[in-house]
Amino acid sequence: MSLGNLGNILMLTCLLASLIQALYLIYPHTSFGKININYRVLTRIIFITCLASFLLLIYLFLESNFNYQLVVNNSHSEKPLIYKIAGAWGNHEGSLLLWILVLSFFNFVFLETKIKNTEFKKYVISFQSLMIFGFTLFLLLTSNPFLATENITNEGLGLNPILQDLLLAIHPPILYVGYVGYSIVLSFAVGGMITNKIDQEWARWLHPWVIVSWIFLTAGIGLGSFWAYYELGWGGYWFWDPVENASLMPWLAGTALFHCVIILEKKNILQSWVILLSILTFSLSLIGTFLVRSGILNSVHTFASDPSRGLFILVFLAIILIISFTLYAIKAPTLDKKSKINIVSKEAGILANNWLLLSSLFVVFLGTLYPLAVDLFLQKSISVGPNYYVLSLMPILLLLLLIMIVGPVSKWQNDKLTNILFSISKLFILSLAIIFAFSIYFSELKLTQITLLTLCLTLMLVSIKNGIRTNRNYSIISPSLGKSLAHIGFGLLILSVIANTTFATEKIFQAQVDDLLVIDNYKFKFDKVNQTKGKNFNAITATFSLLDNKTVIETFKPEIRIYSNPPTVTSETSIVRKFLADIYIVMNIPENADFVNVRIHIKPMMSFIWFSIILMVLGGISSIFFRIKLIK
Amino acid sequence: MNKIKIIYFTPVVIVLIFLIFLFQLLNKDVKKLSSALIEKPVPEFEMQTLYSDITLLNSNDINSSNVALVNVWASWCIPCRAEHEILMLLSKIEGLDLYGINYKDKKINALNFIDNLGNPFKKIGVDKNGRSSMVWGVYGIPETFIIHKGTVIYKHIGPIHLNELENVILPILAKLL
Repeated sequence: MSLGNLGNILMLTCLLASLIQALYLIYPHTSFGKININYRVLTRIIFITCLASFLLLIYLFLESNFNYQLVVNNSHSEKPLIYKIAGAWGNHEGSLLLWILVLSFFNFVFLETKIKNTEFKKYVISFQSLMIFGFTLFLLLTSNPFLATENITNEGLGLNPILQDLLLAIHPPILYVGYVGYSIVLSFAVGGMITNKIDQEWARWLHPWVIVSWIFLTAGIGLGSFWAYYELGWGGYWFWDPVENASLMPWLAGTALFHCVIILEKKNILQSWVILLSILTFSLSLIGTFLVRSGILNSVHTFASDPSRGLFILVFLAIILIISFTLYAIKAPTLDKKSKINIVSKEAGILANNWLLLSSLFVVFLGTLYPLAVDLFLQKSISVGPNYYVLSLMPILLLLLLIMIVGPVSKWQNDKLTNILFSISKLFILSLAIIFAFSIYFSELKLTQITLLTLCLTLMLVSIKNGIRTNRNYSIISPSLGKSLAHIGFGLLILSVIANTTFATEKIFQAQVDDLLVIDNYKFKFDKVNQTKGKNFNAITATFSLLDNKTVIETFKPEIRIYSNPPTVTSETSIVRKFLADIYIVMNIPENADFVNVRIHIKPMMSFIWFSIILMVLGGISSIFFRIKLIK
Repeated sequence: MNKIKIIYFTPVVIVLIFLIFLFQLLNKDVKKLSSALIEKPVPEFEMQTLYSDITLLNSNDINSSNVALVNVWASWCIPCRAEHEILMLLSKIEGLDLYGINYKDKKINALNFIDNLGNPFKKIGVDKNGRSSMVWGVYGIPETFIIHKGTVIYKHIGPIHLNELENVILPILAKLL
């Protein structure tokens, strides 16, 4: 038996097992209700078959087995080992298999958790299996990774050095785990509604899953952004590209969701809101996948697209959405417990934060889909630029920061506004003073900038204080530490983004050797110009030193390369990443000139942007361990 | 059984409408999307070229060709790589000039891409931040335009597959050449 057939048999087994398990959603209500299926065995079969076929695919890539079309298209015998492995999921078919593997892995882990309610467990697993079934069918019908090649070749096509990048290899799978993680959240909602089990205990079970997905999604988005910044070298890190938005939307919904789950867990209210958010979050992950995979949004991320794939995802999306929302419509009247929320309380704060997150979600949603709608109905092409997002999100962000400052310090149930304001007033005044001083001594800021920066700084200080106050025993596994880290991270993120956009400077000099170039507080000395020889080019290399009182801190060597065949001139940027800012130097030599054209860019706080995302992820990790402890 | 309230069906209805919208989007074959530019003159633009910081690629270059094909590409774009072979084939056609627009790319990567895969283009313009390509209505790459005597005849979104080359692109070119 060939390896490809083995792969097909494994996937068919998975298809069959998941179908049988998924039918459990219906057959307790039919005359077959007495049949007892062993959901434990089925779940394990599903997981093991998926894992085995994924490993098999990696094996095919490892041995560069060019009998398979997928390997021919995406690999090459001389590829470094790591990229051979990554090649397995760096394409539509392989990534779909990975997607199914993650679905079944979450299903499997859920099976092994110590939740005693078997009825609930069976329904969650069955709904999850329905999704596994759908995607496996999709895989087998339209995107089989184990297809044999028609023309026998000895060598693969996939040796593109640009795509051999470690970040490019790990960014998609991490993002998938985030996307797919929300599938189990949806299954929780469906299982909980069928068994009438939407209560505090349910919320406690759900909580860790929501956080795990959030961690991966945050990390995945962060890595994508990091890759765009360093590898593509467009000098930006977020472009409001439709595909970026497609990952931001489930992030916003997921963030709203996990704050809401906290309220449900503590106060046993907002059941239907949590259900709606659970459905919404995974739906947005699916919609994102649909838009990208169907080729409706052509972009950086488009794999060779195919309309039949789009249709399949759409039908699947429709089934999942209609089942879950109809179930919601039927169950909703029984879900909510009568409750009153005080306007000054922690739950009110979280709820306000929810609305703000959803408003930003709406803004992004509109910005992403509006051009498509205009295209469809008016046959016009328009594009929505960053200005739209910045202007519409600014007021929301302002309120969000405000709520994030007062929310965590207020008490559950009922609190006094004066108490809350008093407890943050000192830190607020301190922050305001710092920002004001900065504005006076360094560079003048606009009112909106002062407001936003002050709020960010206050948020960070308040979160630090909170983290220390509520975590007296300095445990690294604690919900309060997690929350503080994530909130500090968010404050720092916004602060650095604003600082980065406000203070990024660029200056062009006409320089000669020995000139001193001054930009902001940086002094560069133009040391010398050299002629060097490269592999297939001649280069003119200039040397600049960054000076601090005559001592050289850093050396820059931008180059101009002259290739002879074909005759080409290129400028090589020299970049130094410093703690406070990234510095770029580019040069040009105009014809018949006795000076060099030098451009210096300063991009402040870049490293803080990445650090803030790491903080958020660490915050998530810290609270996840606490949550897992809580279930056990 | 509890009483079912109509109000709770609102999400289902919204979702249905949204799904119909998505279905319409899918149905409308994006690859045949009529561009606002069809039957219009080549938009005014000017950009630096990949092989020199001094020469420029602009509308005049394209208008000077009898039949021109403008392809927007980047080294990081996986479909562009797949499509490149087809462009190499097209470059062998006599009387057809290929122009490239290198989109949001690193210069060195773009040069390596061409070095490894061959250069089908007469001239390659560089659009580092994607701003200059906006006049072309570019919203995802690769995108390809066919231009006859300064008038845009056809726009293709996404990579040109072999069957599209045979069934769409070549027939159009045959009429023009």
